[in-house]
Amino acid sequence: MPFLASKFFLPGTLALFQTQGRSLAHLNSIDILVIAVYFAIVIFIGFYLKGSTNTSEEFFMAGREMTAWIAGLSFVSANLGSLELMGWAGSAYQYGILATHWYWIGAIPAMLFLGIIMMPFYYISKTHSVPGYLHLRYGDGARALSAVSFAFMTVLMSGINMYSMAIVMKVVLGWDLNFSIWVSSITVALYVALGGLRSAIFNEVLQFLLIWLGALLVPILGLVEVGGWTNLREQILHRLGSAEYVHMWSTLGHFHDNPMGIHWTGIVFGLGLVISFGYWTTDFLVVQRVLSAHNLRAARMAPIIGAGFKMAVPFIVILPGLLALSVLPFHLVGETQAVATGQHSYNEVLPLMLVRYCSPGLLGLGVTALIAGFMSGMAGNVSAFSTVWTYDIYGAFINKRASDQHYVKMGRWCTFIGVLISVGTAYLVQHAASIMDYVQALFSFFIAPLFGTVIIGMLWKRATKAAGFWGLLAGTLTAVGLWAWVRHDPSALRYVALSSDARAMAEDMYRALWSWLVCVMITIVVSYMTRPRPEAELEGLVYGASKIPEEHDDQWYQKPIVWAGVIFAIFIVLNIIFW
Amino acid sequence: MRETMSIWFFAGVLLLIYGLIIVAEGTWELAHPPTHPPVLFNLHPALWWGGMMAIAGLAYTIRFWPRVRR
Repeated sequence: MPFLASKFFLPGTLALFQTQGRSLAHLNSIDILVIAVYFAIVIFIGFYLKGSTNTSEEFFMAGREMTAWIAGLSFVSANLGSLELMGWAGSAYQYGILATHWYWIGAIPAMLFLGIIMMPFYYISKTHSVPGYLHLRYGDGARALSAVSFAFMTVLMSGINMYSMAIVMKVVLGWDLNFSIWVSSITVALYVALGGLRSAIFNEVLQFLLIWLGALLVPILGLVEVGGWTNLREQILHRLGSAEYVHMWSTLGHFHDNPMGIHWTGIVFGLGLVISFGYWTTDFLVVQRVLSAHNLRAARMAPIIGAGFKMAVPFIVILPGLLALSVLPFHLVGETQAVATGQHSYNEVLPLMLVRYCSPGLLGLGVTALIAGFMSGMAGNVSAFSTVWTYDIYGAFINKRASDQHYVKMGRWCTFIGVLISVGTAYLVQHAASIMDYVQALFSFFIAPLFGTVIIGMLWKRATKAAGFWGLLAGTLTAVGLWAWVRHDPSALRYVALSSDARAMAEDMYRALWSWLVCVMITIVVSYMTRPRPEAELEGLVYGASKIPEEHDDQWYQKPIVWAGVIFAIFIVLNIIFW
Repeated sequence: MRETMSIWFFAGVLLLIYGLIIVAEGTWELAHPPTHPPVLFNLHPALWWGGMMAIAGLAYTIRFWPRVRR
């Protein structure tokens, strides 16, 4: 799930850097050349792919021609933004190895579930989007609710990402906010409007490579400096005098035994079951990448390949945070203290480590990786927005009978309009930073109930049209209500998160769990009160009513289920090793 | 008529260009060490990291070079 920008920046952060006028890194001409080459290639790809995006299927679904590897890398890359990298590296410094849960139990089971169980229904229904699936399964009510909320939130999130990027560029490089916002938005608008989803996917694959190449040197050189993993553990224990930074599960027995203030039930059920499954299986931003696969086998393999890479990401995100605990000669502090005292904050740990090990050229590569991460995140948001707007709002409710060319034109214009709204949001957030908090909270309200609605629709034939709509609405309102309750009365946390020792992250986990449960219960109750659809209408949409096309793999090791098993076994072993 | 360019071709070209730039900078730094070198500068990561990128980039560029359609 995406790292929240509001957990990254306080309203005063920008003021701090404006008044102090310092930056973490200074780029020379070689670094600028490295960045310029990236921009040139990105724009070239947009112009090059314009010729192959003439139909709506080509523009919005990349022609459904992507291989499993490209769709898989794009799937995981759409989530691997710079804010995510820097934010979780900072969390690793602050909370230790606990932050790895967001990469392992918070992603791997859900990604494998998507590939093995859910993908056949998304794929054989030939839907263009997740709201499109809801339309086929539940009708227009559930589709409208999810499409409008997704389109609105996605484009606002894109603006928040844009603003976050501008601040990071200011903090790390001292760049002007307006320069960063306009250069990145014009570039993204150009290459997505020209090349559609195909262009966004191409750039996500490049971004994935860049992030690994730019960030991988930090853990490699860091481990050389500290003398290996065993020495690193000993140095952290010696320096902090606490074992909680290097254990993933053994400190989760009670809320106050670990620095996150979270219980294992919150991690397993809230994060691992609801939030993770909600994000990875129903957020159209990531699912759209897999829908572009060229056949069902590729569509099933793509999330499994993505899961393999996702499992390795802590090496370039969490490990640098842990290394910083050992090698940095000064102590990093929280944003509030950093703003007050001028010290470096946790969130600057990744740029600080880049500057520590990288000379010119390599530093430019690391900064390019950060820029690429931000831009592909924006491109992902904007391409998903234009698809949902065109197919599920404009084409479904406003203009149903337009030509294919008209929808492609609408998609291109939508991309520009989406980017403009994002720019507007970025400036709005600049003047009222609390908006960032509200928008991201709103976005999280839809994810857990949507998963409830989709999964029941896929696995239970009895679920009815009315149940889909009312379940989704009730779950979303539950999330909103619980959030507002704790904001109004902070002591309500002991009911929402089951303990007054719980902290913000624990609240998120439990709020998602309750909203999902309410969604599921209401869907079941309303289903029994209303008339089910005939089974013939559910062909291709629901388990038990659909014939899944057989895959003819030549060898046993080509089967998706085998690779899902391998990835899951590695996931279990890693959790035991770092228990 | 040539085949359309694959994403792996773009990846190869990008890696090759970056590899060459970083190796060139690393070579320059051998003769002109920076005043404030980064930690572990003595390992010359620019040379081996850039070199590895250049080799991988070259391999991908050649392997996925758009061929002429027959």
